Amino acid sequence: MKFVTTVLLTLLLLTIESVVVRYLGFSVTRIDVTVAVVAFLSLRATTLEGAVSSFAVGYLLDLMSGRPTGIYTFLAVLTFLVGRLAASLVDVRSALVFVIFTMAADLGHGLLAIFFSWLTSRDAAFGSTLSALPLQVALTGLAALALYPLFRKFDSGNERSELGLLR
Amino acid sequence: MGAQAAAGRDAGVHLDSVGSQAGKCKGFGELREFGRTVLTLLKRNRELIVVSVLLLYPLTSFLGKRQVAREANIIDRAVLALTSPLQRALIWTLDGAASAWTGYAALRGVRAENLVLREQNRQLKSEVNELAEVRTENERLRKLLDYSRASPDPQLTARVLGVNPAATFLSLRIDRGEADGVRRGMPVVTPEGVVGTIQRVTGSYADVVLVTDPNSRIGVKVQRSRVRATATGKGESRALHLDNALRTEDLQEGDQVVTSGTDQVFPPGLTVGRITSIQRRSYGMVQSAEIAPAVDMTKLEEVLVIRTSAPIAPPPTNGPQARRGVEPAP
Repeated sequence: MKFVTTVLLTLLLLTIESVVVRYLGFSVTRIDVTVAVVAFLSLRATTLEGAVSSFAVGYLLDLMSGRPTGIYTFLAVLTFLVGRLAASLVDVRSALVFVIFTMAADLGHGLLAIFFSWLTSRDAAFGSTLSALPLQVALTGLAALALYPLFRKFDSGNERSELGLLR
Repeated sequence: MGAQAAAGRDAGVHLDSVGSQAGKCKGFGELREFGRTVLTLLKRNRELIVVSVLLLYPLTSFLGKRQVAREANIIDRAVLALTSPLQRALIWTLDGAASAWTGYAALRGVRAENLVLREQNRQLKSEVNELAEVRTENERLRKLLDYSRASPDPQLTARVLGVNPAATFLSLRIDRGEADGVRRGMPVVTPEGVVGTIQRVTGSYADVVLVTDPNSRIGVKVQRSRVRATATGKGESRALHLDNALRTEDLQEGDQVVTSGTDQVFPPGLTVGRITSIQRRSYGMVQSAEIAPAVDMTKLEEVLVIRTSAPIAPPPTNGPQARRGVEPAP
């Protein structure tokens, strides 16, 4: 996906997510749409292009969280790099595999976010955040399932030719 | 020599200068070479460097500030300024769609809710009516009780079960009978006035002939002038006729008529009604009058039976209708 497309799409998804979460009344659990975007980038984009786009995606998430600390920017780039490493081993071409890939990425992303938050502020209660993680991962998986066709539409013509372990 | 020496010194200086310049040139070359090497290195590792910067800059920023949110810089402000209108428009659209959907869903439920509420409303109205009925009954019974307490004779409260369907014989049936000590000829009253007398008694029921029945006769007197007379029922007109008052006696419209006690049925002083019209013929010794009963016989629900201890003569009901019974109201 092009950089501008990625940024606009992320902005759109974050806005929709904020409204959906508000309507459904999730207090702790979120839907990590940005992880789905980053996961897709790690499958399709080049390292430099993807890293810059992931940085932008994380930056937008940080900015829209209302409390920009840089943690989500860092995690987005890191998730992209790890995802890219994983993508060299697997080939994700179906929606179901993309969902699994995204859920795994979200699990790592969530655990790292909790870890880094704990690292800098040990007095905070992370039990509730940790217990909400499975639901968050599941919801992100559902979101990835819904978003996969959209991502593919925006990224038509950039499919990888080499095969991985999974199809 | 001196000049040669000076020239030699100059040449030496020049050579030094040349040598120095050559050294400088060599240094610049090295520097340029170094720069070129660095540039090549940067070019070669551009991806790694950029990615490292992208990765490490936010991490060091996060760890350095230890979860303290930074102030919005010029880039943040620019991004927010660009994205906020889009975000606001999206939220407005989504909110509108959500509100429309919520409204639609609410409307779908309104019909069912309306039916439930209508049913509840109907039940509540019914309950309100029942309560009003109970309240009215309570007031009536309280009035009866007050009257019963004030009266010297023992009294028995009875509920009206039905009225006689035959218009020529005005009577009603009450739910008290021989088992309750009710006997033939006992007067039946309400706090408003006289009702009638017990005509027939069975085990748990009794028939009351009303004072408005044509066969009914009551000894009365005008409360104001103490004029004695007889009140006779007029049947369907639901009124009483005052007879046997001497022509010279003082009767006026609006006079209150009470029982005189001379008939040995009703105790004296019970309200019978009020004179509504007086008829004085140009001949004869007596005058007559119309009495509107104090009690509305059509709306009786509870009555009091006065259980007089003295033997009471049965009321003068000699007509054939007197032997008819009464049927409960449907």
